[in-house]
Amino acid sequence: MNRTKRNLILLFSSLGLLLLWQGIAKSVDIPVIMPSLGPIFRALGFLAGGPSFPLNLLATILRALRSFIIIVISGTVLGLIGGRNQTVSLILKPFVTTLKATPVMSVILLAFIWFSSGSVPLFSAFLMGFPVMYLQIEHGVRQLDPNLGEMCDLYDIPPKAKLFYCALPSLAPWFVAGSKATLSMIWKVVIASEVLTVPRYGVGSRMQLAQVQLQTDVVLSWTLIAIALTALGDLFFEGVVSLVVRTRSTVQRRRVDALLKRF
Amino acid sequence: MRFSNVSKAYGGHIVFDRFSFALDPKTIMSVVGPSGGGKTTLLRLAAGLIEPDSGTVEKDEGKVSFLFQEPRLLPHVNVWANVEVTLRAFYEQEERNRIALHYLELAEMKESLHLYPHELSGGMRQRVAIARAFAHPAELMLLDEPFQSLDIRLRMHLIKAFLTLWEEERRTTIFVTHDTKEAILIGDRVLCLGDPHEPWMDEYINIPRIARDVHDPALMALEAKLFGLLTRS
Repeated sequence: MNRTKRNLILLFSSLGLLLLWQGIAKSVDIPVIMPSLGPIFRALGFLAGGPSFPLNLLATILRALRSFIIIVISGTVLGLIGGRNQTVSLILKPFVTTLKATPVMSVILLAFIWFSSGSVPLFSAFLMGFPVMYLQIEHGVRQLDPNLGEMCDLYDIPPKAKLFYCALPSLAPWFVAGSKATLSMIWKVVIASEVLTVPRYGVGSRMQLAQVQLQTDVVLSWTLIAIALTALGDLFFEGVVSLVVRTRSTVQRRRVDALLKRF
Repeated sequence: MRFSNVSKAYGGHIVFDRFSFALDPKTIMSVVGPSGGGKTTLLRLAAGLIEPDSGTVEKDEGKVSFLFQEPRLLPHVNVWANVEVTLRAFYEQEERNRIALHYLELAEMKESLHLYPHELSGGMRQRVAIARAFAHPAELMLLDEPFQSLDIRLRMHLIKAFLTLWEEERRTTIFVTHDTKEAILIGDRVLCLGDPHEPWMDEYINIPRIARDVHDPALMALEAKLFGLLTRS
């Protein structure tokens, strides 16, 4: 399917979703339960123009990014080890399986009992996001083609070249998929933690406040912002992947062109 | 290269039992045999990928290049880099460029240097693998049915490309195939495996490769003999 057709379908399906919302809101006709699109977007505009908006947004983004960096580093390192070493994989398995099956709210509530409120989003996001990243990398390592590894060894390809030409490019899709899934999980957990712990600044805190005051349109506006954060995260990764692929292709093509000119 | 009293078994299956043979330098030895007869094991022993249970594999040749059943190209780098990267341990950049280009040109891949493996046809991918095998500074070449998955026209084309490169710089070669015609057209000698103790057949072909014709009575007789041995098994 070409790009234009794909984008058109996405546009129409998104419009369909908005129309469905508007239709239900009109039929319910109780703004405090189901506000229509107009008040939601007005509330969104009002929020975005407010003086504390950047502070709330930044606080949530920083919490999420801090968790994300810790998870990506620890999940990648342990995933690489676990993928190659069955003992490490088995040691981590109960931990990872338990975390995968634990409800997000249980983790947040327990974290709230055990730690100060400031540490709850970080701790909860780590416990929920780590298995996602770890499992992707571990699976990626196991999917590495042993035939290619054998070829590299037989042809005496130096370790550095093997890493950059074979291992890293093969693992990159798993790393990107893991990072995307982890980041979208982190947004949800961090915002849920903020709702419960109500730090001074944060998207979740504002949502909680709006919910107490029965400002459904404001709750939905913050929700839209949370959705936008997840979408921006995905776009960022897609952009990085596309940039890396294009740069790599250009560099290799230039080398070939330069070579053909010389010989 | 010399196999002396080599024994190798997988579980209860004895592949080689005090099996011996010597490889003549700078010649091609075709190896045929039934499935499970030890063709791939022989190559893996020769490459040093596995060790014999007993006996010795002596190798006068230093480096080994291997042409696999499948091309085994690095999927994330282009044709050019797929060959160049295998020379990094041996040559400086300038020399690598010259050698890689030389063999890719001989393999008729000069127009496709910037393409990635997924952009190539099966035959083109195998041609890159052939160029890579020859570019590698190996004295021993091991070929594990590298043309088997290709149609007859492409197969003959690649065999021709292979022999052109081989004649340019002769290397000691073991060519494993299940195709008796291919074995006779390419090999200076044909070894038929099947018995763990000794080859079922070990014959030299004295007709120059360039003059070989599948309709030659001597070659037809040899093929019939091989066919008889392999169908008997």
